[in-house]
Amino acid sequence: MSKKMKMGVLGLLLVTPSFLVLLVIVVLPIVLSFKESLKNKSGGYDLSNYEYLFTDKLMRSNIIFTLEVTVISCVLVLIISYALAAFMRFSQGMAVRWIKRLYMIPLFIPSVIATYGLIQLLGNHGWANRLLLAAHMGQLPRIIFDIKGIIIASLWFNIPFTTMLLGSALTAIPNSIVESAKDVGAGRLQIFFRFILPMTYKTLLVAVTFVFMGVIGSFTAPFLLGPNAPQMLGVSMEQVFSVFHEKEQAAALAFFTFLLCSGLGYFYIRSMIAEESVKNALLG
Amino acid sequence: MSIQLSIRQLKKRYKTGDGVSDISLDIRKGELITLLGPSGCGKTTVLRSIGGFLDPDAGDILIEGKSVLGSPPEKRPTSMVFQSYNLWPHMTVYDNLAFGLKIRKMSKPAIKQAISEVLELVRLPGMEKKYPGQLSGGQQQRVAVARSLLLKPAVLLLDEPFSALDAKLRHEMREELREIQADSGLTMVFVTHDQEEALSISDRIVVMNKGNIEQIASPQDIYDHPETLFVAQFIGKMNFVKGVADDRIRIGGLSFPNAQAHSGPVSIAIRPEDVILNDAEGQGIPGILKQIMVLGHYAEVSVELGDHGTIRGFQPREAVKSLQPGQKVTVHFAKVLTYSEG
Repeated sequence: MSKKMKMGVLGLLLVTPSFLVLLVIVVLPIVLSFKESLKNKSGGYDLSNYEYLFTDKLMRSNIIFTLEVTVISCVLVLIISYALAAFMRFSQGMAVRWIKRLYMIPLFIPSVIATYGLIQLLGNHGWANRLLLAAHMGQLPRIIFDIKGIIIASLWFNIPFTTMLLGSALTAIPNSIVESAKDVGAGRLQIFFRFILPMTYKTLLVAVTFVFMGVIGSFTAPFLLGPNAPQMLGVSMEQVFSVFHEKEQAAALAFFTFLLCSGLGYFYIRSMIAEESVKNALLG
Repeated sequence: MSIQLSIRQLKKRYKTGDGVSDISLDIRKGELITLLGPSGCGKTTVLRSIGGFLDPDAGDILIEGKSVLGSPPEKRPTSMVFQSYNLWPHMTVYDNLAFGLKIRKMSKPAIKQAISEVLELVRLPGMEKKYPGQLSGGQQQRVAVARSLLLKPAVLLLDEPFSALDAKLRHEMREELREIQADSGLTMVFVTHDQEEALSISDRIVVMNKGNIEQIASPQDIYDHPETLFVAQFIGKMNFVKGVADDRIRIGGLSFPNAQAHSGPVSIAIRPEDVILNDAEGQGIPGILKQIMVLGHYAEVSVELGDHGTIRGFQPREAVKSLQPGQKVTVHFAKVLTYSEG
């Protein structure tokens, strides 16, 4: 056996375990779910479960609600994380030191604890409202058991990691790039939009993908502090499966959620491949 | 010639203790002046203060008679060529060059024309569509120089621009920079720690040490008449021996005129090319020839002079043909430089 062939076989052997794991815990459940989702009440196969998803009023509002929460969370997480990361990268002083020390803390608090913490803080009878009442300053609007509560929880869970990702991308931009832009006469906005943003765009895309997937598939926070209706898809899926025992509808819901994530994954991979091919064409 | 850039009593201290103290310097229009010194001597601090990237603690910087202190880099009539090229990797050469001109609201055809001309000047015609990653180090640095030239600054600042290039390319770039300077008539402030670079391109050299100016002079004067012991040690190769000064400078059996009226112990500096090698019976300090290294068209010899240590000299290749390591010789000096000790 030639050396090249030996290396090929070794490569295949190395990749096989991860491929098998992927096959068993990702590909197979998706295929089975899809098959399940096509089963109708009379035991045949059709698209009735999918039809139900888009015709039932509650299901439609669940889908819209989930997308609403996901998009708003993504936008807010990115804006806040980018601002924090940029502040830590380009500023100095006490505030920066404290942000650096504190911003990762949410990552180390289990999601159930953090969610109950938010309920304690922002609930109708939470600390914040009690303090406001004591100070005769009125009352907070309804946050818990509302879309606002889920979004706040999403911010809590996603900002630290996103800030860390963007922070490392911003750190990779040398000061001298900014200085040379200033040197030719660029103002702050031009430096941001023409240099910093294009040079961190790829990481931004990675961050969007992570946040989108994380929020759209979230369960704990929406389950504990979301409204009864409409619901996030994860909560709805659980209810359809465990309470209504509609296994096929739950499978359709799961497959639809998977398709939503795949859509974003597709754009992510496509833009990465496009960038690679531009690079290869330039270097080739 | 009018003064283009004036630095007055510039002071800047860092927490580490480094910085500059009381730097004053006038640079004439069209002059290429080099700030030369070892790491931490303050040369980059001066350059970055001129460019507006650092705020000095005290002093003033005037360009064409107007103080620029307090103006941010983008408002100063200066442009900087950085050590690491600093081309923007996500933009083509054209976009790198055009960016500053677009900010200055130049029309598209004028930008295109200016870029084409400047690329001719830096010998990179037709490179507009390339990305920085597709260019060699030398080409990138030429684009960086072109980007600064396009802005027609009153003063062009160059921060060790060739230090990342290999020796051959560095040599070529020096010549090119000198040609560009002659063609454009730009005033340039060049920072380097490479004395050969400074000697080869500068109209005048400012030798700096520990935040102070040691000497300002033409390359020839700096080499021939280093005013301080530091400059003598830093510029070119130099031998140092101990001597005594009274009415004359005395070393071994040799004596030289005491032009600077030193007295007591002195450090005597001798350039290797001023070392004269004689046979054992000749006039001079007796010594033993330790080593002969033929370096192309000349040879470097080292001679042990007893208490005076080892001295190195350059000799014509022909002159060392009959010599053997270990033989007795005498050494004389064509010229000596003296510096008071302490």
